[in-house]
Amino acid sequence: MIMADVIMEARDLTKDFEDLRAVDNLNLKIRRGEVFGFLGPNGAGKTTSISMMVGLLRPTSGQVFIDGEDVNKLEKGTIGICPQELVLWEHLTPRESLNLMGNLYELPKKESEKRTEKLLSDLFLTDKANTQVKNLSGGMKRRLNLALALIHEPEIVVLDEPSEGLDPQSRRVLWNYIRALRDDEGKTVILTTHIMEEADKLSDRIAIIDHSKLLRLDTPSNLKKEIGEGDVVDMKLSDPKMNQEVMEKLKNLAEIEAVTEVDERINIRALDAVGKLPVIMDRVEESGVQISDLSVRQNTLEDVFIDLTGTTLRE
Amino acid sequence: MKFTSIASKGAKELLRDRRGLVMILVFPLFFMLVFGFAFGGMGQSNQPHDITVINQDQGATLPNGETLNLGNNFTQVLKDVKYQDSDVNIFQVNETNINQADSLLKQRTVDAAVIMPENFTESILSSASGGTSTTTVTIRGDTGYIGFGVSQGILVGILGQYQDDLLVGIQSQLTGTTVQKTPQPIESQVESIPGTETFTNFDFLAPGMIVFAILLLATTVAAGLTREVEKGTLARLKLSKMRSFDYLFGNLIPWSAIAAAQVLILLIVAVIIGFHWQGGLNSLFLAIVVGLIGGIASVSLGMIIASFVRNERQAANLGTIITVPTSFLVGAFFQLPQVVIANFGGQSFQIYDILPWTHVLNALRATLTYGEGWNDIAYQVEWAVVLTIILFLIGVVLFSRNRLRAEN
Repeated sequence: MIMADVIMEARDLTKDFEDLRAVDNLNLKIRRGEVFGFLGPNGAGKTTSISMMVGLLRPTSGQVFIDGEDVNKLEKGTIGICPQELVLWEHLTPRESLNLMGNLYELPKKESEKRTEKLLSDLFLTDKANTQVKNLSGGMKRRLNLALALIHEPEIVVLDEPSEGLDPQSRRVLWNYIRALRDDEGKTVILTTHIMEEADKLSDRIAIIDHSKLLRLDTPSNLKKEIGEGDVVDMKLSDPKMNQEVMEKLKNLAEIEAVTEVDERINIRALDAVGKLPVIMDRVEESGVQISDLSVRQNTLEDVFIDLTGTTLRE
Repeated sequence: MKFTSIASKGAKELLRDRRGLVMILVFPLFFMLVFGFAFGGMGQSNQPHDITVINQDQGATLPNGETLNLGNNFTQVLKDVKYQDSDVNIFQVNETNINQADSLLKQRTVDAAVIMPENFTESILSSASGGTSTTTVTIRGDTGYIGFGVSQGILVGILGQYQDDLLVGIQSQLTGTTVQKTPQPIESQVESIPGTETFTNFDFLAPGMIVFAILLLATTVAAGLTREVEKGTLARLKLSKMRSFDYLFGNLIPWSAIAAAQVLILLIVAVIIGFHWQGGLNSLFLAIVVGLIGGIASVSLGMIIASFVRNERQAANLGTIITVPTSFLVGAFFQLPQVVIANFGGQSFQIYDILPWTHVLNALRATLTYGEGWNDIAYQVEWAVVLTIILFLIGVVLFSRNRLRAEN
């Protein structure tokens, strides 16, 4: 990776809150113009990492550089952040809120108004532009939350759990907008999420974080390849106490790549899992136990996460 | 001019949050009514009453050549007299002149002033010798003030008793006998300090209630600023090109306007329920200016509180813990004992004078209750401005350091 491609770099970033280490020695580089996903369960340290990377939170140790410059010396306006919570002024209207932020980012008045109208239109808020925020729906508030991060056309857009609480339709609008930010406007988008599908579909590269540590950083396809190609057979036995015995028998099968226990279910990863189902079921029946639930699906980031941490993503 | 955007945002938020606005404006009105009545009957038993004596008595020479000044004698009697079956003095007496006495009465540092005329001794001696000369002792004060009423009642009683005992003693000295019935040479008259003839206790309390309302703004401001921290909107602003000055000065404008509005609204309500407003529109203008200064001091205190608290509830609690005792300390409800710590240009500086609201209150009382003009309140306003600037700078430094930089 050549330096000009790197827009943001975290070096040895650590954050302690009294006895709790929220981020442990984070090192990563984010490329200009990519959608970079932070994937991890709630409490993994994603928001803390982001807060330090945009200069809102002082690290216990380590540094953050943006375009090679310390984030604390950075000219304001390079970054736009859409926080996880709705950070809005309830008694202002969307138009007033956007114009306020435009003014505070020192946009010329006409430019601010033009940008405001475009964002209101792009995010389907024009009809409610003069309605006080307190009277907007949850989805509208979330879209305004995003618009406020974009009013000054920042080079880096940070979206912290942007889909939280959105219905599927609003989520689709948001995802399309995030893609457009990258593809049409050339923005660098940093996205934190605990939703696998969101990370998988939007991110060019993903950093998997759990318990304050960076576990892996790669493209979604490479991450999935890392744990092997193929499908996953997800099975639940009538008697979960038999899981270990059954898993031992399955591990001996040459056709099986990996067997793991997740939330009292057995996950079996194998190429052409459907073709191998008769053999798998024979081995289970040999143990004298019934299968109460069974499904076959493609390898996902969830499986990558399970492989790395031994657990599912905690909600 | 980013601070104008912040000011506009603050004003819109204040005005559109109708419930909050009503609370800000109505809550002090409620206190104005409740406290007005509650403190109306306030009094303390077996506590010395502060009075001042102006002794103008020229004295007289007795036939044996000895000089006598009964004014001094009566002053000493007032100093020595005690409650029945108690070691507690009835009066705490100081001696002064007419001009200072009026100032002390207006600030309610003393409850009453006793003025003994030039012919005090002469008239009493004459009467004891069978003459008909009389002398008039003036008991001066705010006739609407309950403290004056109590002190005046006691003074009249003591004066009567003094007269009876004195005449008997003098007659005995002069003639060797006592006369059963002599003319009573000492008369007493009650005199109101100028402009207070129709005053009630509420006239003293009303400016205090206005200052109390202005002080309560500190709690509201602290809660508002903390809400912005808690909700994350401050973090959003911090990422912009806004400077600390823009944010703090921008917030100062709408809140100061609220303080000015409070002065106006509370004054109107006070007048409706019996406040004798003096000085006309000029005093109203001065009161609004003074209220603005007090408002800025309260916003500054709010910033200081918001620099340390973690959430809105803490801000409200800490704000109340600080503002309510402060309102007592500045003398919003009753006068506190004098604790002079310095003197500036001939004016004593009390420990309470380190608080800007003390001067705001003194200035409001002077202009609204006694109708005094700019020249009379300039000293208080100057102190209020200086102390408010200091408080504002402390607020700016603390809030900027604790809230407007990257968090730890």
